[in-house]
Amino acid sequence: MNPSIQSRLTRAALAAGLCCFLSLGAGLASSVQAATQGGTLVIVTTPEPNLLTNALSSAVTVTEVGTKVYDGLLEYDMDMRPIPSLAESWEVSPDGKTVVFKLRRGVTWHDGRPFTSADVQFSLLQVVKQYHARGPGNLGPVTAIETPDEHTAVFHLEHPYPPLLKGLSSAEAPILPKHLYEGTDIRNNPANNAPVGTGPFMFKSWDRGSAITLVRNPNYWREGRPYLDRLIFRFIGDSGTRSAVMENGEAQVATFGSIVPAEMKRLASLPNLEIAEGGYEALAPILSLEINNKKPPLDNRKVRQAIAYAIDRKFVADNIWFGFGKPAVGPISSVYASSGIFTDSGIVRYDTADRIERAKRLLDEAGYPEKEGGVRFSLIHDVSPYGEDYRRLGEYLRQALGKIGIKVTLRNEDWGAWVRRIYTDYDYDFTSGWFVGMGDPTLGAQRLYVSRTIKSGIPFNNATRYSDPEIDELWARVAVEQDTAKRNEAFHQIQRKLTEDSPLVWLLELHMVSLQSKQVKGLITSPLGMRGGLYEASLEK
Amino acid sequence: MRRPAAQRWAYVRARLLQAIPTIIVIVSCNFFLLHLAPGDPVDVLMGEAGAATEAIRDQLRAQFGLDRSLVEQYFAYLGATLSFDLGYSYRYGSTNLELILGRLSATLILMIGAFGVSVVLGSIGGLIAAVRRGTATAGAIMAAAVVSYASPLFWVGLMFIVVFAVKLGWFPTSGIARIGADYTGWRYALDVAHHAVLPVLTLSLFYMALYARLMRAAVLENLKLAYVVTARAKGLSQGKIMLRHVLRNALLPVLTMAGVQISGMLGGSVVIESVFGWPGLGLLAFESLFARDLNLLLGILFLTCILVVLTNIVVDVAYTLVDPRVVLR
Repeated sequence: MNPSIQSRLTRAALAAGLCCFLSLGAGLASSVQAATQGGTLVIVTTPEPNLLTNALSSAVTVTEVGTKVYDGLLEYDMDMRPIPSLAESWEVSPDGKTVVFKLRRGVTWHDGRPFTSADVQFSLLQVVKQYHARGPGNLGPVTAIETPDEHTAVFHLEHPYPPLLKGLSSAEAPILPKHLYEGTDIRNNPANNAPVGTGPFMFKSWDRGSAITLVRNPNYWREGRPYLDRLIFRFIGDSGTRSAVMENGEAQVATFGSIVPAEMKRLASLPNLEIAEGGYEALAPILSLEINNKKPPLDNRKVRQAIAYAIDRKFVADNIWFGFGKPAVGPISSVYASSGIFTDSGIVRYDTADRIERAKRLLDEAGYPEKEGGVRFSLIHDVSPYGEDYRRLGEYLRQALGKIGIKVTLRNEDWGAWVRRIYTDYDYDFTSGWFVGMGDPTLGAQRLYVSRTIKSGIPFNNATRYSDPEIDELWARVAVEQDTAKRNEAFHQIQRKLTEDSPLVWLLELHMVSLQSKQVKGLITSPLGMRGGLYEASLEK
Repeated sequence: MRRPAAQRWAYVRARLLQAIPTIIVIVSCNFFLLHLAPGDPVDVLMGEAGAATEAIRDQLRAQFGLDRSLVEQYFAYLGATLSFDLGYSYRYGSTNLELILGRLSATLILMIGAFGVSVVLGSIGGLIAAVRRGTATAGAIMAAAVVSYASPLFWVGLMFIVVFAVKLGWFPTSGIARIGADYTGWRYALDVAHHAVLPVLTLSLFYMALYARLMRAAVLENLKLAYVVTARAKGLSQGKIMLRHVLRNALLPVLTMAGVQISGMLGGSVVIESVFGWPGLGLLAFESLFARDLNLLLGILFLTCILVVLTNIVVDVAYTLVDPRVVLR
């Protein structure tokens, strides 16, 4: 081992490790009792993925399939603290610029070849960092990965990067077999559609347009796992039929996006079905309105604040998302409460009792008095093409903003046109969408707020074109700050400053739960939820 | 006068030659019309991914050939298409021909099934409605036809699923075969047939209604004509008159409509395939449109266009077989 690297585990980390060891132990004990071996679990999800290697695409369904086949270096407990996966242990050097991962021994690829540190080096630097949309964020400062032996990977970083340990799951940074990818055209490698990994399930077949079948990996390194013999992902175009498939028991699990919330609520009340709670914490998704901050009158902070006041988040949570979400207070989700990153103190709250009066007052102050018929000005809302819920949201927004004198017209376009309009042409007033926070806000939320991500043509970057030097500086600080208290304080400042400037309007922290048959046990055991390995899932006979 | 067979053959040859410029024009129109839609496949891929970087965007655009001008893309496309090279889908990591052929059988099962069911049942229904004109049976048939004709397919499909799959459990809700059952041979064919019942029935309803109405109208019209009176006068039985004389004449409008139905076959039925999770070409075309995977969509349209042109020729020739009075020129 490299002697220059001091092993240093802080007391906090030790305590955390112990904690997660205990909780893991408890989890194991309970699942040993409940788990039944065997069976086929059918999962309904949508849309059908276009390829199966989630190292090359961060699309939701690609990740759902890929994470069963691949492992990552790390996994996370429910509080997003790292726990071992392909890496058995890891040490961060005191200067934060070197991280040593000790890799698990005796792990083999589904084709029988041994897994080594060379796979880690190749996958992360040659594939994930180059091709995965969040690769540059997750692995940004990693300049080199040294492999002193087959079971050690030494990461060299440009600067300390605390978020690094939050983005190494199989969902974000899957480890691919170097021997199948090296020296090939990575994007068109045949293994992309017939993936080979080290994970709990092996790829068997892909019936295009219908289903993907994965089978149990008998040599999986987690002793006795997975419990299921087979995982089948089914793709059905119509949401009504997807509900029917759950209702008559042809499928046992449906992912959040595949069933509309209203239906989800109805189906969960049937005797054989229930909600599988949790499983979205690693995504930390927030439903928001993106506002064109460069376009008058929306360039005026008071106007954006008025819009934020006008919306009844509780109503949206209860009547459009049917309780699958809770009102959001700012850009940083309360999912991060346990790590101290989240705060709701000292921020501008938009859920006050007199919010309508405040909104009207702000619009008056901004110079937009009520004119004939109570209308101050008109806006177009681009309904995002995510489905029915977003159309209903659009209809609600029209009413809610109408109350404060903003006349809203709705515009519906399909994916291609919408992405082009919002993220390339910036030809919009405001639109809606859900944005991920990821394991650390630096990895997910950040890109919506900093000046350097104002890049025309790249979706889900800073399309509001909000730009503020103080905010830029704060985000730069949290990326490198190793002192937890100072880092959390900087996040709190971000939360305060952004709620005041209101570049976006944050509506709900979405609870992206799944629907499951009551026969299914142990489905959601990690914050990755359906984007985890599902090796603890079992089917009661 | 030349022999009819030789004349028919000359006609087919001439029509086939005419078809080439027709296809080129259609293919060109398709290309430019589809490129009018805002956004490209890379926009969609990045949108689905939920994130992207500039490097990834540029890599993808170069790979899709989107960094070239539209005119360059057009000539490249035209050249490839006319040599039957349908191109490669970078979105799916597979050649377009493979993707299309992979979906073809599912579409053909659905369409041929629906075609057979609708032509046979529709024609019989129409015939009965005409012969038993004024009775309750005829009334019921025509009422059923109106309802089938007017009901939205997706709704009928969903209702079938709710009644026959969810409540009664007679048929599976969706899909083409039981996933993971790994049946082979007859067992597999039976499984597919079992899965096909609801979608085929749903899809055939519309055309069945159409054929029934066409048939009824044509039969009623023919029954008034002099040749029927003559046949009656000759002492032919009602059954012989219907089958030998009236039916043959009444089939002409049905044949025309059948040509239309076959022409639409390759396009599949987006609605039915979507509702029943049927992995056919219609759904592939639909998805490729939303994904802006235009080369794949153009490939499907190209094959459809060839089918339409060929079907038209076949229907024209078939007229002469059914009705010797029709002359090909």
